[in-house]
Amino acid sequence: MNNLTAYLIPILTATVSMSVPLIFASVGGVYSVRSGIMALGLESMMMTGAFTAVVGAYYTGNVWIGILCGMAGGALLGLLHGLLSVRYKVNQVISGIGLNLLALAATTLLMQLLWGTKGNSPQVPSVGIYIGGLSVLVYVMIVVVIVAWLVLFKTRFGLRLRTVGENPKAASTVGLRVHAIKYTGVLICGTLAGLGGAYLSLDHMDMFVRDMTAGRGYIAVVITILARYNPISVVFCALVFGFCDAVQIYLQGQGIPSQLIQMLPYIVTLLVLTFGVKHITPPAGVGMHESD
Amino acid sequence: MKKFMIFIRNMNSVVLAIVSLTLAVLISGVIMALCGYNPFEAFGAILVGAFGDKRAILQTLTQATPLIFTGLAYTFARKASLINLGIEGQLYAGAMVTAVVGVMDFGMPMAIHLPLALGAGILAGGLFAGLVGFLKVKFGSNEVIATIMFNKVATCLVAYLVNYHFLAEGSGSAQTEKVLETAMLPRLFAKYQLTIAIIIAVGACILVKYFFEKTVVGYEIRAVGQNQLAAETAGIKAGKLMILTMFISGAIGGLAGATHVLGVDRRLMIGFSPGYGFDGIAVSALAAENPVGVILSGIVFGALRAGSMVLNRTTSIPTEFTNVIQALVVLFVAAPLLVKEMLGVNLMKKLEAGKEEAADE
Repeated sequence: MNNLTAYLIPILTATVSMSVPLIFASVGGVYSVRSGIMALGLESMMMTGAFTAVVGAYYTGNVWIGILCGMAGGALLGLLHGLLSVRYKVNQVISGIGLNLLALAATTLLMQLLWGTKGNSPQVPSVGIYIGGLSVLVYVMIVVVIVAWLVLFKTRFGLRLRTVGENPKAASTVGLRVHAIKYTGVLICGTLAGLGGAYLSLDHMDMFVRDMTAGRGYIAVVITILARYNPISVVFCALVFGFCDAVQIYLQGQGIPSQLIQMLPYIVTLLVLTFGVKHITPPAGVGMHESD
Repeated sequence: MKKFMIFIRNMNSVVLAIVSLTLAVLISGVIMALCGYNPFEAFGAILVGAFGDKRAILQTLTQATPLIFTGLAYTFARKASLINLGIEGQLYAGAMVTAVVGVMDFGMPMAIHLPLALGAGILAGGLFAGLVGFLKVKFGSNEVIATIMFNKVATCLVAYLVNYHFLAEGSGSAQTEKVLETAMLPRLFAKYQLTIAIIIAVGACILVKYFFEKTVVGYEIRAVGQNQLAAETAGIKAGKLMILTMFISGAIGGLAGATHVLGVDRRLMIGFSPGYGFDGIAVSALAAENPVGVILSGIVFGALRAGSMVLNRTTSIPTEFTNVIQALVVLFVAAPLLVKEMLGVNLMKKLEAGKEEAADE
């Protein structure tokens, strides 16, 4: 029994800590999709957030300013995604992919220009505040999830956001400011994804590493769909993926080739994508403009 | 000036591509200037490094070869409105299988061994992508996310296979044994890395153009891409064609890896691709998804890559900014409205409208 808890506690702790960035990003994704904008750019928002968080923490020496910078960096990418898809009517898949490419290239380039290194940034101060063995950001995450649920389903703003996402044309006809609502949606999305990125770089690693998010933004997209665009369900879906990541990390030291174990989260994502999300339909107005 | 504005407003895809590339280069130039480098000096050095002498031009073409393949692979899938982000993984799958076949010693002559090694790579890449097509058609799984996940699976799997099963003896780094002479792609010039792969790449582009314009299957694939429902109503089996499209797209991606293994490195080295698969997206965007345009667009980005490698040796400017240029091209080409606005077309329109109003009064 003691033996079992000795295994279980670290794995469960790791499960929670690996789920946190996914939950932040996926809840952001829920805001974005509910406002009618596909969340394929999540990877870029997380990546930029992880990077700007380290830049902020490096130059100020203050981890909280770093986290704010991470949120701002993510929000900036969210704004870009919003501009491209709302103002310039770009295909949302392509703009997401383009931003993801840009974020990877730009963070790698800036890392070299700022610190002259290719692989990772210098070490920065980390959050390092734990309550009950879990990072303080875990509790922030719980608040974010509950607030998101209240905002989306219990407030007038949430109703308007969902109306815009379902039918932008009708929303525009009844006098809703469709553009402003969509921009709010992607900005919240970017801010939260940036916070998820900041968690990766400031709480999980204490530095920025090239391609730090490593596809987590895409996994967050899958979680968003699997959770049927509901912030509470996001938590449970993300825990499944966090568990895979935790098991993967745990198994690293067990003599199984690490390259095989590293595949685990991606294979689970593929399985969920194939068998888990077939009959889930997104809001009807995703990708549409009020002029359609 | 007015004529120029009207020209821009009605711009077709070629003009849009050229303007997008120019804007992307300008923006990266501004970034360089902000970081304290002289952009004119830098781009001058890139041009010399890419086209300055015979060595430079051959290096440009060598760098362009995988980009033409991956650009063509992405373009092929786009014709059926599919997005294949998994070319990087298909490239590694092709490279792996080709590297294994390339070291097999059955006393085969080159006329058998080389096509066999290339064919194995093509098949591996094709099957890898065809699986995604199958999952999409059969289970409705989104190919954008599936291909990204398969990229990670492929790179992990190849790293495992090389490290645990095919590691070259006595080698300090993770790489396979050198392929046999009979499987090596012949070089076009002695002492230069450029091989006949560039000819295969150009040939493949022309073949794909012919396929889409002159064959029934090619026509049907385009019909599916334009309107899947309409195509199905007309009796076209869209599902089968989508799987086939992904298979061929992946096969071309596999060929990119195979030719790199047999032509450039002569073996599989872990991490040999600096992201060729993703570069294909930019190559295809700049070519306006035209298979023959891919040749030119691949050479443009190949030149940028070759030139920036020279630049990187002589100055401290990182080569990464070429990736920034590529990403910006993808975004600009996808956003003609943005490009028009940046060029001030809207401003012109407002001025014109203002004039007309004044005239009306």
